[in-house]
Amino acid sequence: MAAIAMDFEDMLRKIKDRQWALADIDWDGPGAETITPELHARLKPFMADLMWIENVGARGFAAMAKKAPTETLREIYRYFHAEEQKHANAELALMRRWGMLEGDEIPQPNVNVKLVIDFLDKYSDDMSLSFLGTVIPMLEVALDGALVKFIMDEIEDPVCQEAFKRINADESRHLAVDFAVMDLLGHAEMRKLLIELVGGWVKPTFLIGVLSYVPLLNKMRDNIVAMGVDENKLYKALERYRNVGERSEFARRLPMYQIVKMHGGWVVNRDHPYHLLADALVKITARVPKRLLRRDPTWAKEITYEPAA
Amino acid sequence: MTNAQTLDVAVIGGGFAGIGAAIRLKQHGIENFAILERGTALGGTWRDNTYPGAACDIPSRLYSYSFAPNPNWSQTYSGSAEILGYIESMAARYRLRPHVRFGCTVTGISFDEDAGLWDVAIEGNAAPVRARAVVLASGPLSNAGFPDIRGIETYEGHKIHSARWDHDYDFTGKRVAVVGTGASAVQIIPELVEKAASVKVFQRTPGWVLPRVNRRTNPLTKSLYRHVPAAESLARRAWFYGHESVALGVVWNTPLTRVVELVGRAQLHRQVRDPWLRRQLTPDFRAGCKRLLMTDDYYPALQRDNCKLITWPIARLAPNGIRTAEGVEHQADCIVFATGFEVSKAGTPIPIVGREGRVLAEEWSRGAYAYKSVAVSGYPNLFFTFGPNSGPGHNSALVYMEAQIDYLVRAIGTILDRDLRMLDVRRDRQDRYNETIQRRLTATTWNSGCHSWYLTDDGFNATMYPGFATQYVNQLRSLRLEDYHVVSADASTRAARIAAVS
Repeated sequence: MAAIAMDFEDMLRKIKDRQWALADIDWDGPGAETITPELHARLKPFMADLMWIENVGARGFAAMAKKAPTETLREIYRYFHAEEQKHANAELALMRRWGMLEGDEIPQPNVNVKLVIDFLDKYSDDMSLSFLGTVIPMLEVALDGALVKFIMDEIEDPVCQEAFKRINADESRHLAVDFAVMDLLGHAEMRKLLIELVGGWVKPTFLIGVLSYVPLLNKMRDNIVAMGVDENKLYKALERYRNVGERSEFARRLPMYQIVKMHGGWVVNRDHPYHLLADALVKITARVPKRLLRRDPTWAKEITYEPAA
Repeated sequence: MTNAQTLDVAVIGGGFAGIGAAIRLKQHGIENFAILERGTALGGTWRDNTYPGAACDIPSRLYSYSFAPNPNWSQTYSGSAEILGYIESMAARYRLRPHVRFGCTVTGISFDEDAGLWDVAIEGNAAPVRARAVVLASGPLSNAGFPDIRGIETYEGHKIHSARWDHDYDFTGKRVAVVGTGASAVQIIPELVEKAASVKVFQRTPGWVLPRVNRRTNPLTKSLYRHVPAAESLARRAWFYGHESVALGVVWNTPLTRVVELVGRAQLHRQVRDPWLRRQLTPDFRAGCKRLLMTDDYYPALQRDNCKLITWPIARLAPNGIRTAEGVEHQADCIVFATGFEVSKAGTPIPIVGREGRVLAEEWSRGAYAYKSVAVSGYPNLFFTFGPNSGPGHNSALVYMEAQIDYLVRAIGTILDRDLRMLDVRRDRQDRYNETIQRRLTATTWNSGCHSWYLTDDGFNATMYPGFATQYVNQLRSLRLEDYHVVSADASTRAARIAAVS
């Protein structure tokens, strides 16, 4: 199949044209009562995780903005970084609307999300674009994509629907660029790709990344199940990475794509022995003492539910 | 044209370059000239840039003319008021006032080939001017412009451009937004945080910040310079060669560039503790690629409780403030645009029509070029100060300007002394010169991959000179007439001149 060609200039123009602000949404509008007390209890930790997962993407895009080969792409990633923050802000605003926040408190994510954020914050600036450019799309389709879809399917509140409609539109542009870049990256010489792969893997820090990433997906599956939802929704999102990636012969050339895809295949197959490890890691990480975790990076304090500052 | 006054020289612009050219013309015995100034005061950039904290980032000793020394500089890096005072004192000292025509906006110039005269069109009812030679001293940093940001017209608060400061606006207790983090911004922000309730700084690209050690001049030093001019000249030389050595790291992309970056990084580490803020303030281009920022006050100001650095892209301006791409509206009572100038890298500041009706803006549409930055083939008897490829990255602009002025005064002296109709640089010499310049530019930091006001959108560098100031000055030391078409005036030229004026 033909390569996924994209006019990045045109995409940047589109991104600029479609900017929205928190102030465009009436956060006090009717519909908050649709969140029943029972749903409220289950939704609160879910939203906290979702809000923080936006920051996983944000931090990834921030790193990619430094690596991108052209000014246009750098600018696109700068916008994506900001948009992920906007999504986190909007999700915080929803939590506030639903009475889930006490004072100025910023809810904490589960330990697995926190570990991944810690990892990205520490190391992502040192990773290559081809590395980030293949892993971040997986995190985006799997986590953001699945969880956002879940919210849209399950929550009736019209204000929430409006916010997530906008978030979804942004995310679809993120994914379009993600896959177009993966295709571009696949044009590189195989030798260069392999060097980058090996260079990425042999770093001891990479192991920390794997140990953070592996339990994250399984933990999110547990969350979805806890919300009373079919875990297949997450798996379908994971498969999207493979489905879209396979359309490009160049993306398929990326060794890292093959690895991420293979891993996705293990995750969606509950009978695969991989889950013995992943589920064990979820249990182990749950016991990580809080004091061992790094404090939130200062950029995390920038999240706000206020439309104006 | 009737009642036109014929001048030997029309100097367009009364800033540093125009004043310097006027002084040297007078010293050369040329008195029939006028400085055509669109404003109501002299000083150009330094008259316009009066924002709080405005100062030069080249030591004053070097940021002044060697032919008009000033032993009284109060500090190493003087503020705008003192520099403006210096410009005014030169005008008084060399009795330039009778030559200045204020409120005289030149709207275009065209060359009358038969008469060997430039027609200078002036806005309004001012008497038209014809001149044997024109010095275009309008300066690259003379047109301030608000940036092209969506919704800028919808903003209902107060707007100020750094180059058109509103001194009547009281910042006390106000919420202020500053757009831009270039050379002006890093001077304004430390002043604003002292007064305003809050200052939000909107950054697009962080620049390299180097320390600037500013000291007050000792009264004994001033006295020495007053009484022993050679001592001042020596100090100026020391500053000059000090800056020349910096070219090795700032002009060319060399291992010394890393040393400059190391100094920048050390300053950042010393002054900024938070790692994320440090990351946001770390440039991602070679030092020197964009203009270096010299300040000790900027980073501390950013970290004051009432100050905040915002690096999200600006989505649009709304009635109450700036909306950024993270979805938040940053409300502000006043927005300060420290967004620089409309630097002409292609096109010309005014329409210029040369020989056979050629239009310079059309020839320069892909990027400006000239012979030694001073003259352009096809536009005889016209001289630029700060013309194409004369920008310094490491040394005083005044050193470059002085060399241009001495060169053009020599050329104008030749036109007048020999009664030339045209002194027109040869196209082949100009082309050869520019080929060399562009080849040499490829190894410089400016062409190392960043986007800056030095480059056109196509990446053509029409702005900077790729070498030492010494090299630049040396190439302008003598006027080589073999590089020019030299056409003498004859009887018909003189008749055409008389016909043109009457």
